[in-house]
Amino acid sequence: MALDWYLAVSALIFCIGAGGVLVRRNPLVVLLCLELMLNAANLALITFARMHGGEAGQIFALIVMVVAACEVTVGLGLLVAISRRNLPIDVDKLHELNG
Amino acid sequence: MNAHPYAMSFLLATAHIHGPHISWAELSPIAVLGVGALVVLLVGLASSQMVRARLVPTLTLVAIAGAIGTEIWRFSHAPQTIVAGALRIDDLALIADLVCAVAAVAAVLLAWRARAPREAGQGEFHSLMLFSLMGMAVLVSAQDLITLFLGLELLSIPLYVLCAAEYRREGSLEAGLKYLIIGSVGSATLVYGLALIYGATGQTGFGAVAHVLASQSGGGLLGDPLLLTGIALVIVGFAFKASVAPFHQWTPDVYEGAPTAITAFMATATKAAAIAVFLRFFDFTLTAEHVNWAPALAALASVTIIVGNVGALGQSSLKRLLGYSGVAQAGYMLTGLVVGTRLGVSATMFYVVAYLLMNLGAFAVIVHQERVSGSDRMAALSGLGRRSPLLAWSLTIAMLALAGIPGTIGFIGKVQLIHSLVNGGYGWLAIVLVVGAMISLGYYLRVVAAIWMTPADARGVAVAGAGPLAGAPVAAFPPIAGGSPEADLQASAGGGALGVERLTGDPELLLVAGVFGALCIVFGVIPGPVFEFVAHAGAALVGLR
Amino acid sequence: MSPTTWGWLVLLFPLLGTITIGLGFRTYSRAAGVIGTAAIFLAFVCSVGALIALLGRTGTHREVVSSLWNYDVSAGVDAKLQILIDPISVFMMLVVSGVSTLIHLYSTAYMRSDKGYSRYFAYLNFFVLSMLVLVTGGNFIMLIIGWAFVGAASYLLISFWYRRSTATRAGIKAFVINVLGDVGLVLGTFFIYRHTHTVSFLGSFAAAPHVFHTDSPDLVAGCLLFLVGAFAKSAQVPLHTWLPDAMEGPTPVSSLIHAATMVTAGVYLIVRLHPLFQLAPTAAEVGAIVGCMTLLIAGTIALVVTDIKRVIAYSTMSQIGYMIMGASSGAYAGALFHLMTHAFFKALLFMGAGSIIGAMAGEQSLDRMSGFRKALPFTFICFLAGGLALSGVPPFAGWFSKDDILAFMDHRGGIYEVLGILGYVGAFLTGAYTFRLIFRAFYGEPSPEARELEHGHLAHAEVHRNPANGEEEDTDVGFPGPEHVIAEREPAMKVAMGILAILALVGGFVQVAGVDAVISKFLATAFVHTPLASPADQPSVGFDWIGLVVGAIVGLLGIGVAYRVYIAKPGTSAALQARFAALHNFLVHKWYFDELIDVVVVRPALTLGRFAQAVLERVFISGALTGGVTGIVRSGSAAVRRAQTGLLRLYAGAVVLGLTAVVLYFLISAK
Repeated sequence: MALDWYLAVSALIFCIGAGGVLVRRNPLVVLLCLELMLNAANLALITFARMHGGEAGQIFALIVMVVAACEVTVGLGLLVAISRRNLPIDVDKLHELNG
Repeated sequence: MNAHPYAMSFLLATAHIHGPHISWAELSPIAVLGVGALVVLLVGLASSQMVRARLVPTLTLVAIAGAIGTEIWRFSHAPQTIVAGALRIDDLALIADLVCAVAAVAAVLLAWRARAPREAGQGEFHSLMLFSLMGMAVLVSAQDLITLFLGLELLSIPLYVLCAAEYRREGSLEAGLKYLIIGSVGSATLVYGLALIYGATGQTGFGAVAHVLASQSGGGLLGDPLLLTGIALVIVGFAFKASVAPFHQWTPDVYEGAPTAITAFMATATKAAAIAVFLRFFDFTLTAEHVNWAPALAALASVTIIVGNVGALGQSSLKRLLGYSGVAQAGYMLTGLVVGTRLGVSATMFYVVAYLLMNLGAFAVIVHQERVSGSDRMAALSGLGRRSPLLAWSLTIAMLALAGIPGTIGFIGKVQLIHSLVNGGYGWLAIVLVVGAMISLGYYLRVVAAIWMTPADARGVAVAGAGPLAGAPVAAFPPIAGGSPEADLQASAGGGALGVERLTGDPELLLVAGVFGALCIVFGVIPGPVFEFVAHAGAALVGLR
Repeated sequence: MSPTTWGWLVLLFPLLGTITIGLGFRTYSRAAGVIGTAAIFLAFVCSVGALIALLGRTGTHREVVSSLWNYDVSAGVDAKLQILIDPISVFMMLVVSGVSTLIHLYSTAYMRSDKGYSRYFAYLNFFVLSMLVLVTGGNFIMLIIGWAFVGAASYLLISFWYRRSTATRAGIKAFVINVLGDVGLVLGTFFIYRHTHTVSFLGSFAAAPHVFHTDSPDLVAGCLLFLVGAFAKSAQVPLHTWLPDAMEGPTPVSSLIHAATMVTAGVYLIVRLHPLFQLAPTAAEVGAIVGCMTLLIAGTIALVVTDIKRVIAYSTMSQIGYMIMGASSGAYAGALFHLMTHAFFKALLFMGAGSIIGAMAGEQSLDRMSGFRKALPFTFICFLAGGLALSGVPPFAGWFSKDDILAFMDHRGGIYEVLGILGYVGAFLTGAYTFRLIFRAFYGEPSPEARELEHGHLAHAEVHRNPANGEEEDTDVGFPGPEHVIAEREPAMKVAMGILAILALVGGFVQVAGVDAVISKFLATAFVHTPLASPADQPSVGFDWIGLVVGAIVGLLGIGVAYRVYIAKPGTSAALQARFAALHNFLVHKWYFDELIDVVVVRPALTLGRFAQAVLERVFISGALTGGVTGIVRSGSAAVRRAQTGLLRLYAGAVVLGLTAVVLYFLISAK
């Protein structure tokens, strides 16, 4: 099976993630979409690791997973803090800082 | 079944795993920061308020001082690639490390009695700052795509939290979330780009990638769409961190919302680290692809210079103004990178050092302003020259230096950049730089004016307080004679309300403002030492003209 | 230590003094004076160190260059932060820092009651720093920087009492004329740089004979432009009108800046650039002629002016005329020698004048002073010493130095001989106006203030007035302080004046024809390559002494005339005024120079300016150019800020757009 298809799927997932960040207003879903983008990269990494036959790509993918988890944790923490202050959970309502 | 405890420890003592050889001497700048961060986090658990409020920042300073010490110790040694090729400790990395560490020292001092560490917890706040600093150290020494990504995230994730450190203030939370989401988009873009570069070359080490690209020059990989897309994505990912337009929009918002000490840290240290890794990645790893990426970066740099300077024009918040100014300054620094010469690298690193000196003084004054007047509005600066001459002079010098007035380090920095641009065949970019600097006068000088211009009512007081001449027409005091320190003093003394304001600031703020203000002038007149310092950076990147 | 290390230290101390006093002016009251004086004194000590270090060397080793930093990064200009320590600069350093120390000391007492005490010392230290940069600078860039800085310091100090409209107006006048000189200096530098391709002094001098022949047009143009700079700074005709007005500044400032140091910068410039002037004899002749004109014109005006400080100011112009004339004719050592002695006795005369003004409670008109001999004995002796030195009476310092210049010129012959003889006419005028001043202020019937002072009461004005226009004044900040001081009661002033009085007496003995020649020998290495340095060009000892005797006789004649007019037959002055009313009027109006400049320069410029403002500025610049450009920038600013909505999703949209653009660029245009 040609590698192109793996890459096509990976690019598609990346685009879906990016699109999600653009259109969704709920920060939770935005975080999910970010995960999609990172996992698209993971898919590409694993594909290439398979192609080149080294372990570097696999390790890279593992590290990306760890980092993704960290990012989401921080994101969720922030969301908790925001909801505790009774602020709206909506990225469009956060525009106090502008200009 | 019941393993004897001694047997267990014996087993641990004799077992060996085949890990990479680690050269602790070279690794020490990073290790010191890691250990420091853990210690600070532990001490932060102490129950005594006194310990937390005083010991924790002190320990943080000690840890950073230790890192600075080891960095100076390793400086101008032969470059070493350590930890199985993951990191390379050379002078470029050490210079960037030192810049970041100095920024961190200043940030700790600015946060000394700020609200953010009290709300977020002293231990957590300072430990996160140290981790972020460690991330910068990893990032600028990275010699492998994986380390690069790891360093970048280690830098960024603590900063997301730190931006939201004043979590009872809505702006701070908003800044944190915005930075997190936009920053993560950048990270995802970067990692995807790195994946593509890995895919195209089959290597993750910088040296190996450079080798593969160089060995196939004239065809093969150089036009490979996979590689080119990868480079494009990496540019975008770095551009986020360095706040290069059009990926800069988070910058003013986050700078305004974040606690000011953190803004100062982000503005200087993050930018220095991002520019340093930009240099290493493009002028070393991808130097064979220079023909392809240079025009794109040149275009981005000119867009950044124009957008940053133009955007700063109408701002009334100082932090926001410095945010936009930081965007423009990132554009200046990028120009030195574009030419891809040793001269360009030196000029860029010179500007990184200059940028550090110019900004920290200004941020110290902003922290002071926020404590005194509760806002960072430019209008609140009025009369600062009378209340606190040292701070007023520091801010004035910082603004003039950022604008590139001769006699300041900013001027020398810009001249160096222009020199390298003209030398490298990018004369048009030099013109863009100069035009940008011209526009920038429009807002930097507005700040200077706000500091020194006496408000109309205070002048009235001065006239009224002049004894027998109270009734004399104002024309008796020709404005051309200019600043009249004693009259201002009288106005503040006689004006009652004006006179009771705090005459000076907190000592640590005065220290930061005074030191960095003075350095801007000293190195502006005698830039020799800085120049020799950064010349090492150009030499660190082998293979440059 | 090497001479250059000392040289940098000489610059460092005034710099530190300026910064310390300038930043903390509010914190110290009295300490500012101590800090300022100490800083300058340390600079003097380091100048002596440089001198000793230099004396340990010989020949060309006495020219040492040191650069702290090379700004040469672009365009090929070798602009360096560079000092040149050679006999000329060390000589100037010694004079500047030495006299400055004494004047700082004097000021600690003189300015005591002024509300701007600390500000005064910050300015004064800044001035000394600038002057030292000027004389130590190793290239044209440093020279220009120092040149402009002393202009700024002079402006600040003339307008020191910034609530006096006369003072601010005088400051502006001085600044504008000085900037004219700055422009001359910069353009002159350009003319030289164009051919020599270096801005360093030594490099230019080495290259000049190869790239220029005698009287090359560009070289003459460059030297004439340098002369414009020198004339403006040294108050030579026709750019002299700012100097009398500059007397609006505090008296010690007049003493330091407008007599002893800054105004002699033009002389220094010609001496420093002597290899260029030697190649451009035409320009040198212009300098000599203008110097001679100035010394005569200023001497005649000084005969009729009634403001005590202005008399001395015109005398300064006249004496600098001698120096400019001498330096332009090739009497370099003589010009510098006269510069030194003049610094001593002229600073002393101003200090004495300050004491008299103190006794008169701020009044400066000679018409109202008389008979202070008994009331101010110390001041009288010092003033007399200064006056005798100025008039060139043996054995005072001025006698040796002035006649050194004149003898050289008469020996050189040609046009210089004519100018030298005219110089003796100037010496006659000098004797006359100097003793007119002394006889009117110290002899005759004591004025009420003097009589009171004899009984121990220092006059104190009920209402403070501006001596220039009689306006009523406050003693608050921006005006002179309420109290006045006299040297008799102030140890600091006494010490400063005493030292200068001794120097005015013995300062000339360092160079007596046929006996010793300390100055010429010390400076000789700097002028060794100049054509006029050969022994044949120097007047013989006998010739020198003839000149000295003639000079002394002429000076004494001038004093005799003054004695006859003001002491022997009082009333002669009024009779002369009535008889030569037209001439008197002409002199009182200072040869109508101000009016001439007004008609020739100011009014046409104003008309042109109004026209340009109305037509060019409003319509073309503001409307089309600036308006268009600012319009673009402004709308750009609005667009950027409108894009900054604060909405996260739009930011992400911008990112995706940017990302797509970059990727597309790479895929489409890649090679």
